[in-house]
Amino acid sequence: MEKKGKKKQPSEGNDTVSSPSPSPWQAFLVHLICGLGLASALWIAHKVYTNLISDPSQILCLIWIIEAPIVILLFSIFRKNPKECSYWKAVGRGLLGLPAGAVVNALGAIALGAPVGVKYFSKTLNWSLLMSLFTVVPAASVFGSSWTNWQQIFAHTKPIGSIDYMICLPAHGAVIGAWFGAWPMPLDWERPWQEWPICVSYGAIAGYLVGMVASFCFVPLRSEQRHVKAE
Amino acid sequence: MDGVRWRMREWPLSSVFILILLLHCVGILFFTRGFLLTRTELPHYSNCSDVSQSPCLQPHPPSYASPRHPNLNPDQSCWTKPVIDRLVIIVLDALRFDFVAPSTFFEEKKPWMDKLQVLQKLACREGSSAKIFKSIADPPTTSLQRLKGLTTGGLPTFIDVGNSFGAPAIVEDNLIYQLVHNGKRVIMMGDDTWLQLFPHHFNKSYPFPSFNVKDLHTVDNGCTTHLFPSLYEEDWDVLIAHFLGVDHAGHIFGVNSIPMTEKLDQYNVILENVVEMLESQSGPGGLHENTLLLVMGDHGQTINGDHGGGTAEEVETAIFVMGLKKPPSSLLLEHDTSSCQLDLDGRLVCISSIQQIDFAVTVSALLGVPFPFGSIGRVNPELYALASGTWNFESSKEGIYQNQSNMEEWMQNYVNVLCINSWQVKRYIDIYSASSVIGFSNEDLLHLSAMYSQAMENWSNTMINLLLHKNESCHTSLPDLRRQTDAYFSFLASVAELARSKWTEFNLKMMGIGFGVILISLLVHLLAIRRLDKLCGVYFLSHAKSGISFGLTFSCLVVVIRACSFLSNSYILEEGKVASFLAATTGMLNLRYSIMKGKMLMEAVVFVLLISILRFTIELGLSKQAVSSVLLDICPSWIAELVPVLALVVLAFMLLKSIAHSSCQRIIKYVIIGTILSYLLIAAYWASESKLLNLPLPKGIRRNFIPQIIYIIGCAQLSSLALLRFLTEEKTPNWEENVVFKMVAMLSSWSSTVIILSGRQGPLVALASIIGGWCIMRLKSFEQDCKKGTPGTLSLYSSPVTQWSLIAVCLFFCTGHWCAFDGLHYAAAFIGFEEFILVPQAILLSIDTFGFSHILPIFGLPFLVAPQLPFGQGEQQRKRFFFMQLSQVYLMYGFITAISITFTILCVTIQRRHLMVWGLFAPKFVFDVAGLILTDVLIFLAVLYYDFLGQK
Repeated sequence: MEKKGKKKQPSEGNDTVSSPSPSPWQAFLVHLICGLGLASALWIAHKVYTNLISDPSQILCLIWIIEAPIVILLFSIFRKNPKECSYWKAVGRGLLGLPAGAVVNALGAIALGAPVGVKYFSKTLNWSLLMSLFTVVPAASVFGSSWTNWQQIFAHTKPIGSIDYMICLPAHGAVIGAWFGAWPMPLDWERPWQEWPICVSYGAIAGYLVGMVASFCFVPLRSEQRHVKAE
Repeated sequence: MDGVRWRMREWPLSSVFILILLLHCVGILFFTRGFLLTRTELPHYSNCSDVSQSPCLQPHPPSYASPRHPNLNPDQSCWTKPVIDRLVIIVLDALRFDFVAPSTFFEEKKPWMDKLQVLQKLACREGSSAKIFKSIADPPTTSLQRLKGLTTGGLPTFIDVGNSFGAPAIVEDNLIYQLVHNGKRVIMMGDDTWLQLFPHHFNKSYPFPSFNVKDLHTVDNGCTTHLFPSLYEEDWDVLIAHFLGVDHAGHIFGVNSIPMTEKLDQYNVILENVVEMLESQSGPGGLHENTLLLVMGDHGQTINGDHGGGTAEEVETAIFVMGLKKPPSSLLLEHDTSSCQLDLDGRLVCISSIQQIDFAVTVSALLGVPFPFGSIGRVNPELYALASGTWNFESSKEGIYQNQSNMEEWMQNYVNVLCINSWQVKRYIDIYSASSVIGFSNEDLLHLSAMYSQAMENWSNTMINLLLHKNESCHTSLPDLRRQTDAYFSFLASVAELARSKWTEFNLKMMGIGFGVILISLLVHLLAIRRLDKLCGVYFLSHAKSGISFGLTFSCLVVVIRACSFLSNSYILEEGKVASFLAATTGMLNLRYSIMKGKMLMEAVVFVLLISILRFTIELGLSKQAVSSVLLDICPSWIAELVPVLALVVLAFMLLKSIAHSSCQRIIKYVIIGTILSYLLIAAYWASESKLLNLPLPKGIRRNFIPQIIYIIGCAQLSSLALLRFLTEEKTPNWEENVVFKMVAMLSSWSSTVIILSGRQGPLVALASIIGGWCIMRLKSFEQDCKKGTPGTLSLYSSPVTQWSLIAVCLFFCTGHWCAFDGLHYAAAFIGFEEFILVPQAILLSIDTFGFSHILPIFGLPFLVAPQLPFGQGEQQRKRFFFMQLSQVYLMYGFITAISITFTILCVTIQRRHLMVWGLFAPKFVFDVAGLILTDVLIFLAVLYYDFLGQK
C-alpha cells in the first residue's frame, strides 16, 4: 500500500563529507543486528501475544519500540561530518526523524487507500512509525538535514558510498514490500491477516530484510571496486 | 519529406481507427453470442391430456380415490386434484426476508424488522394453516427475471436483463397461461411489468407504471383501491396484486430509512385488512371458503436498496402462505425444513424454506392445472401440505387411525403428484436435450435417466403393494411412500442442480473466435502505435531514438496490473480502489521525479492530493452515497447547497477567461456562452429544488423545463460544433490554439448535460477532472526532460495517457457508479421527464453513466498534446507532427482501454462456471464492452472533429 519515496526537509547544502564509510564487516554487522533486533521483537511479540495477527497495533508498537533504539544508535555511528556533529546529536536527529517520517508514511498510505477512522488511528500510527524506522530514521541519523543527500538516496536512487547502500536498499525494499503487501487486502479470503495493516507490515518487513541482504551483498562489491580504483 | 508524405498516404490513419472499431465490434459480437446465450425457449405447452402418457396414477382412477371423494367432479381435475378454489397472490416487490421473519431470527434487531406484525401473528396462531417461508430466488434478481422465473418455473438467463427496459411477452409455457387455458379467471393489479409479460392473459387488469422509481405511491395506492373491492367479487379465481413501494423506497432511500418503515407499516395495515376481509368470508359457503393467500416477495434487496446480483440479501425473500380453511388436523411431515424460534412476544414461529423455481409447479398442483412445460421445480411438500390440509376429510373414518390414515392418504396423493412432477421434468429435459444444439452432457443425462427409471420402478412396486393392501385399513404403507418421495426428491434435486450449473450453454467456439478477433485488434493497435512512433521519429532525424524509458515500462506495468486484477472477483468488486491505488502510485512516482528535478513540486503534490480525495469519494460511491449527501451530513445544509453552485461559478469563470482571448472563433465563443447560460440554468434548477430557499416557481413554468432547455442547448451546441467542421476552413495561423478552443467548446457543450445529470456532485467532479488533467499535462514534461532531446512519442505519452485513463476510471467510480445494473442511476434518466420515454431516457442514462468517465476524458485528450511546442521546422511540418502525436495519444488511449477489456473477456471465459458469473462478471463484461465500443466511437468522432486527418 505504501510507496512514498520522498521526504522534504529544509535544505542546507553542507556536504563536505568525510564520513566514516563502514567496512563490509561493519555493514554486515549493522544489518545483522538490525535483522536480529527485528527477529527478536517478533519473537517477543509472539511470546507475549501468542498470535501475531490478533492485535496488530500492539505488536507493531512493540516491534518499533524494540527496533528504534537499535537502528538509531547503530546508524548514528556512521553520521556524516562526525567532527561537526556529535554522536548524541545524530541520535537526536534520528529521534526527530521518527515522527516526521511517520507522518510522511502515513500520508502516503492514506493516499493509496489506507482506511481512515478512529478505530484505525492506532494501527496506522504504529505502522507508520515502524515504516519510518525502516525508511526515514537511518537517513535522518546519518544525513541530518542535508537535502542533497536525501535527494540522492530517495529521489535519484543513486547511492554512492556503502552507507548510502545500507540506507537506500532496505528503505526501498520496505516501501516496495509494503506496496506489494497491500495486494492481498481486497481478496475475499476472509483471513484475519488481510486486515490493514497486517499484510502491509509483513510485506514491509519482508522487503526490508530482502533490502538488507541485497545491501550487504552490494557493500563488499562496492568497496572492492573502490579498492581497485584506488590502486 | 516526400518519403514521409508517401508513407502518410500509405497509412491513412482514419482507416486504422475504423479498422479497430470494426474488429472490436466483430470480436465482441462473436464473444457475446457465445457467452450471453439465452436458454433455448421451447414452444411446447403442457396439456391436460398429456398426463395419460405418464406412468403415474390418474388423479381419480375409479379403483382408488373416487369412492372417497364422490363430491369432486372428475372433469374439473386435470393433472392433479385441485386443492384450493381461489388464490390471492400479493407480491411485495423487493421484500427482504428480514422484513417478514421475526427479528429473533437475526443477530440484532434492525429498525426495519418486525414491521409486518400481522404476518408473524398469523404464522404463530394456534391451529391456523399459515406459515412463513424463506424463499430463495436465483440470480439475476431483477423483477422481470423473477416474475419470469416464478411463472415458468425455469431459470431465466442473463440476456433477459437487457430486455428489462422493454419487457417482452413470455412465450414459454407458464403458470398464467395454464391458468387461463384451464378456465381460471385471473385478474391483476399493480406493476405493469405483468402486463408486458402477459399481454392477453388477464380477465381484468389495473396496471400502473412501474418505471418511475421516484414515485413511491402511485402503484400501491392503485393496488389498494382495486384490491378491496375485488376481494368481494366473484368473477375471478386468481388475483395478483403487485406492490412496488418497498422496491422504490429502497432504490431511492435505502432500507434503513423512514420512507421504508412507513411503507412497511402501510403494508401491515393493508395486509391486516385483507386477512380480516378474507376471514370474514371464509365460512362455509362464503366467497373465500377455500381460498389461499400468498404474500410474497419476488426478490430481496441490499441495505442500499439494490438488487440484481446473487448475494444472500438479494436472493432471500419471503413467502407467507395462509389457507383460509382450517385444517382438522395438522400433518406432520418428515421433510420439514423449518427452523423455529420464539419471537419477541414469546410465541413460537417456524420458518421453512422453499426454492423460487418450485413456486410455479406447486401453485399449479394446488390449483389443479398442468405444470408449465419448462418448469424444473418440484412440488414443495410443506407448501402443498399447508393447503391440502384443507381437504375434505369429514368422510374419513373416525377413530384412532384417523390421523394415520389422513397422513397416509395425503402421502399417497403427494407421491402421485411428485410422480407427475418428475415425469414432467424428465419429459422437459429429454425434449430440451433433443431440440437444443448443446443440451446437457450425455453423462448427466444418463445419470438422470437412471435415477428416474429407478424411482419409477420403485413406484410401480409401491403401487402394487398399495393396491394389494388397500382394503386392509390398518396396513401402513408410510415407509414405502417415504422411500418413494425420497427417490423423487433426489431426482428432482439433481435436475435442478444440473440445470443451475449448466444452464447457460456457453458456445466455446464462438467465444474463442471472438477472443481471437479481439487479440488481432490488439495486435493491429500495437502495430499502428509502433508505426506512428517510428513515423514521428523521422521528424527528429538526428535524435530519433526509440529507447524504452522508465515511464514506458512503468506504464505498461500499471496497465498490466490493472488488467490482471480483473481475473479475480474481489478485485473487480474493488475496481475503483485498485484504480485509485495505481493512480496514486503513479502520482507518487511523479512526486519523486519532481523532487529529483526540483521543479513542478506543486503540480505533483496537487495530483497526489487529488487522488487522495478521489479515493475517499470512491469509497463513498461504493456505499452508494452521493458526495453531496455526505456534505449534507457533515456540514450545515446551506454549505452543501452552496458548494456545488460555487464550483459552477468557478467553472463558468474559467470558460469566460478562455473566451476572453481574441483569437478564438466566433462560433466557439457563442457555444461557450451557451454553456455559461446552461450553468446559470442549472444553478436556478437547484435553487428551485432546494428546501432551503423554497422559491416558488413562476406560474406556468414547470420545473422540468429547465433541464429540457439545457438538453436543447447542449444539442444545439454539439450540432453547431459539428457544422463548424464543414463550414470554416479559415487558415488561422495559430491552429494550435484553435484546437484547444475547439476542445474547450466541445467539453463545455457536453459538460452542462453531464453536470445536471450527475446532480450536485457534478460541478465538483468536473473541477476535479480539470485539475487532474492540468496536473497530468504539466507533469508530462518530466519525460521530456529526462532525456536530452526528444524521446519518441511512445515514451513521451505513455505515462500521461495511462494516468489519464486511470483518472477516468476513478471518475467513473467516484461519481457513484459501479459495474452492475444496480449501479446505474435510474433517477438521472428522470431529470427533466416525468414519464418514461425509452429513447431519450436511455440516452440520458448512458450520458450519466459514461459522461465523466468516457465522453469528457476522450474529447479532452488533446489537452495533453496541445501545449507541446515542437521545434520550428516549418509550420506545415510542425502541424503534421502535432496531429500525429494527437493520433498517437488516441491510439494509446484506445489501446489501454482495449487491454483491460481483453482481460475482462479472458476472465469471464475462465470464470464462466463461477458462482458469481451472472451477479458480477457478466455485468462487468457488459459495462466494459459498452465502454469499449463507446470509447472507439468517441475516438473516431474526436478524430473527425479535431480534423487532424485533413491537416496534411
